[in-house]
Amino acid sequence: MEVFFNNLPYLLSGALKTIWLALAGVPTGTLLGIGLGIFSVIAPAPVRWAITGFVFVVRGIPVLVWMFLAYYMLPAAGIIVGDFVAVVGALIMYTAAFVTEIARGAVLAVPSGQVSAARSLGMRRWTMLKLVILPQAIKLSIPPLLNNSVMMIKATSYVSVVGVWELTYAAREVVERTIAPFQVFLGAMMLYFLICYPVSILAQRLERTYTYEH
Amino acid sequence: MNISGLMDWLGYGYLGSQMPRFGDGLLMTLGLASVAIAGAVLWGLVLVGPRMSRRRLVSVPVLSYIELVRNTPLLLQIYLVYFGLPLIGAPLSAFVCGVIAVASQHGAFLAEIYRAGIEAISKHQWEASKALGMQRRQIMRLVILPQAFLKIVPPFGNQLVILIKDTSLVSAIGIMELTLTGKVVVERSGASFEVFLLIAVLYLLLTSSFGAGLRMVENLLRSRY
Repeated sequence: MEVFFNNLPYLLSGALKTIWLALAGVPTGTLLGIGLGIFSVIAPAPVRWAITGFVFVVRGIPVLVWMFLAYYMLPAAGIIVGDFVAVVGALIMYTAAFVTEIARGAVLAVPSGQVSAARSLGMRRWTMLKLVILPQAIKLSIPPLLNNSVMMIKATSYVSVVGVWELTYAAREVVERTIAPFQVFLGAMMLYFLICYPVSILAQRLERTYTYEH
Repeated sequence: MNISGLMDWLGYGYLGSQMPRFGDGLLMTLGLASVAIAGAVLWGLVLVGPRMSRRRLVSVPVLSYIELVRNTPLLLQIYLVYFGLPLIGAPLSAFVCGVIAVASQHGAFLAEIYRAGIEAISKHQWEASKALGMQRRQIMRLVILPQAFLKIVPPFGNQLVILIKDTSLVSAIGIMELTLTGKVVVERSGASFEVFLLIAVLYLLLTSSFGAGLRMVENLLRSRY
């Protein structure tokens, strides 16, 4: 365990970078996905098709391949950004595609009788969305959104393959120096666990409160 | 005109000449995915029994393992297996290490999916079966599992699609599958993003055809029951 504690400050600064990556990618992607998810229900057909296509293409390809694509493709398209921005772009897009499906599912899960009821009360589309559909849809979508965030926090580790320094990259460096894979990799796993597990627990709790026994 | 002829004509002669490599990479990804899917499905079945056990001495260790694996990145688990096993006297090949890590993580996810499917069947059915004089095992086999099976199929399929995509991570330990093939070809040619577009299309074909197959199975099952 000594090796782990000696290198803990280095690993912790890696963990901070991981948290920074997650904060840059996940909330932005989630907001974007919620917007796309709502639009995929209410927008006119061509927009809906475009969103469906986006989700299909993004989700069908590994996030690691998207990171490589962002890394190589943005400069080739004349957009010169740092590797950090490129991989965060990939994280945002991947999060957004998964969240679109979650948000869409949550909006569609609101019983259609309520839509008819709201319409018969004379509500307009936006009023209905704001007062009837979204309050219920948000409640339904919070647990899967949290689970999705855990998945994306874990996915931040893949940026190390492209060459962006964070916790997993730092762990590999330490292992190369110390040849102590068990202590260091298990230690790094514990750091990830400390970040991810509270979010998972919160998701499980909320899921239990929102589901009823029939 | 064959594929490499077409690529030549489009001005991608070098990429065309690399087609056999991509073929090999695709085959490796397919091989990895098939072995890992078999491993994960079985590992999930092994885990779900003790996970649902009423003895805490049995269920708590399994639950801890599942939560640890589910809340840490697969990439680190791959590194742990690949760099760790030789130190405890088990120097396995990169392929075996990759399969072990992928199957171990996805087995844990599948165990939770199996459990959720079983628990989704209402308690009243247990009570009704008991009232009919059935044993615990009989209830499981005749009443609960057939219904749970139908509930499990969609999330089960989704998880396997994620598994197929996750095989791209074993490129980090040097297995020449699709992603690493792409990286190597890029490093040798400088035809950078075209290569990864091709890789992306191949993955998309792989996951979408698998997904389409799953939906067919789903519809078939739904129409039969």
